[in-house]
Amino acid sequence: MPRKEIEGDWVMGWADRKRHMLVPGKDQHDRVIYGRTPFFEHEGLITPTDATYIVAQLQMPEPVHPEDYGFEVFGEVERPATLTLEELRRLPGHTVRAVAECAGNDTDFWDYLQSREKGGNMPKPSYELDDGEGFLKWRGMADQPDFDMAELAHANPSTGHVSGGEWTGVPLREVLTRAGVKDSAVAVRFEGFDEGRPDPTTQYLSVGRADFEVYDPGVINYDKGLPIEKAMDPDTVLAWAHNGEWLTHVHGAPLRLVVPGWAGNWWVKWINKIEVTDHMPDCYHQTHYFVSGKSPDDPNKKPMMALGVKTLITEPRDDDSPLRRGSHVIRGLAWSGEGAIARVEVSTDAGETWSDAHIEQHGDRFLWRRFSYLWDVDVPGRHTLMSRGTDEKGRCQPVTEWNFQRKHFDGIVPVDIAIE
Amino acid sequence: MHIVICIKQVPDPEIAPSVFRVDEVAKKVISLAGTAPVINPFDEQAVEAALRIRDAEQDPANVTITAVTMGEATSEKIVRKAMALGVDQGVTLVDAAFADSDAYATARALAAAITKLGDIDLVLTGRQAADSDAGVVALGIAELLRLPAITLAKKIEVADGAVQVERAVSEGEETMAAPLPAVITIAHELGAVRKPSLRETMRAGRKPVRRWGPDDLGMDAESVGRAGSRRVVERLYQPTRDVDCEWVSGDEPAAIAKALVGRLVEQKLL
Repeated sequence: MPRKEIEGDWVMGWADRKRHMLVPGKDQHDRVIYGRTPFFEHEGLITPTDATYIVAQLQMPEPVHPEDYGFEVFGEVERPATLTLEELRRLPGHTVRAVAECAGNDTDFWDYLQSREKGGNMPKPSYELDDGEGFLKWRGMADQPDFDMAELAHANPSTGHVSGGEWTGVPLREVLTRAGVKDSAVAVRFEGFDEGRPDPTTQYLSVGRADFEVYDPGVINYDKGLPIEKAMDPDTVLAWAHNGEWLTHVHGAPLRLVVPGWAGNWWVKWINKIEVTDHMPDCYHQTHYFVSGKSPDDPNKKPMMALGVKTLITEPRDDDSPLRRGSHVIRGLAWSGEGAIARVEVSTDAGETWSDAHIEQHGDRFLWRRFSYLWDVDVPGRHTLMSRGTDEKGRCQPVTEWNFQRKHFDGIVPVDIAIE
Repeated sequence: MHIVICIKQVPDPEIAPSVFRVDEVAKKVISLAGTAPVINPFDEQAVEAALRIRDAEQDPANVTITAVTMGEATSEKIVRKAMALGVDQGVTLVDAAFADSDAYATARALAAAITKLGDIDLVLTGRQAADSDAGVVALGIAELLRLPAITLAKKIEVADGAVQVERAVSEGEETMAAPLPAVITIAHELGAVRKPSLRETMRAGRKPVRRWGPDDLGMDAESVGRAGSRRVVERLYQPTRDVDCEWVSGDEPAAIAKALVGRLVEQKLL
């Protein structure tokens, strides 16, 4: 096995392993506005804060001093209120450990698996981190006269938008209960400080073509309308801390929403307003983007909510080939949008047969679980490894149907290994 | 063979221009909190060039590579970084008397350090420092040590007491040779540099770094640093970039081209 040499660095003045952080995309003021997680380089379950992925749909807002911070709770409640961060911190707290995954994570794999099934030769999308410039380059591209969809399609890898984290705050339902939610409540609309005009390029990149019209709402604040049932879930949290330290600005400080199991776009950052509504609000990033459907013209588009069931083989990877005959450990991560992973199976023969993998158990339903499988191989040649997960609800990977915006990918991605 | 690499600690060139600041009164670059200075990226290329020369040797153990830097006390970090890549030993010229050196004073101090190191075969530097962009210190060292110098090397081969250098020049490539010892500046066309391994980084923590002041080099305080410099800084400021954009319009491409050529001739650009 061509073993990669462990990279070194200086950590607190001492020679040490290189600590892999995200490679950020920055704005003109050297501020980070984007980053992908190098998850293959990490051990354990919690992604270090400096390596946690960053995606913002609109412009990142200016930071707000925590002592100046407050947010409104209003709408279908008996007692509308404005709460400061300190007042919020007096309520009974809750810490939840969960996977945050961008709805568009691994979106390129939809096309890759389709191509592979048909015997096509589309190259496997890369898990390699770029310098973040790709993401920044395509912004606003659709407004340029020389806009080229083919160039856009290859502008930015879709992998690395997933992280595991620990979030500390207050269950949203503590706040809602104190405000007195009326029986008429249907949803809770969160509005962030972040504003901007949604870039149509985002949708073109997501859909993979640009021959349709994207609704232009003008300049808006980022908002989402969380169904009341999920809002009252004890694990849905208003978080001010992340991985044992105060929440950082790029991750939504002073306060963000944490919606375990649901895609990252529900985890509204920089919360400004919480409005309880008697209807599903018409939020751009819910009714026009992050929606299911067969095409942009599909009249039955619906907001996409919980993630499917997903596994990722982290070791070995394709470029570890060739491996020698003998025993190898197949390792990976498994997670689900609707609760704990109950089973992971591994196939070493391209899905012909499956065997149960060992799952490392823990008590956090929405945090990924590590799995491992001892693979004894003595036949030279090409072997295709696969993994598939099943969650506590009995949902077996893959769960998510193809959708025109190519969101919530949870397909089974084969790993091709040569044995010598 | 003994190769000496001169390296410099510079403000991180990756920081955005919008956050870069200078103190126009003190005529100094303001250190930006939260951004650590780095090894001059061109000097990393010089380190890589030295390592490639050693890799090409039949017996790599016969090649000793020494990194020399002049700067603040924190500059030992970049020497350690070079060591983590494979450099054998380091020398830092750290003393308040060295502060505010210009290219001339820097070249004198580095030349003195190289002389003190003794028998050397090659002196390598990056093509220029990423902060001052002057690119003259290496040539100053060559002049002071009476050594031949070749600039902008993209490939170096050492054999039979001579160095053969492929230079990156605007017209393409140029091959030159010089007898050893010689001073060579390395162009970024050399290619990607290696990454430090954990094993080498750990070894680097145990490698020797000597710290020399003017006395160690046999130089008096009046001949180094600001006192020994010839450059006079009249003003240090950030130039503004005012760009006027003029659209040349017309009905036909030929008419637009004609108008464009007319404007360029008018501005004496053609």
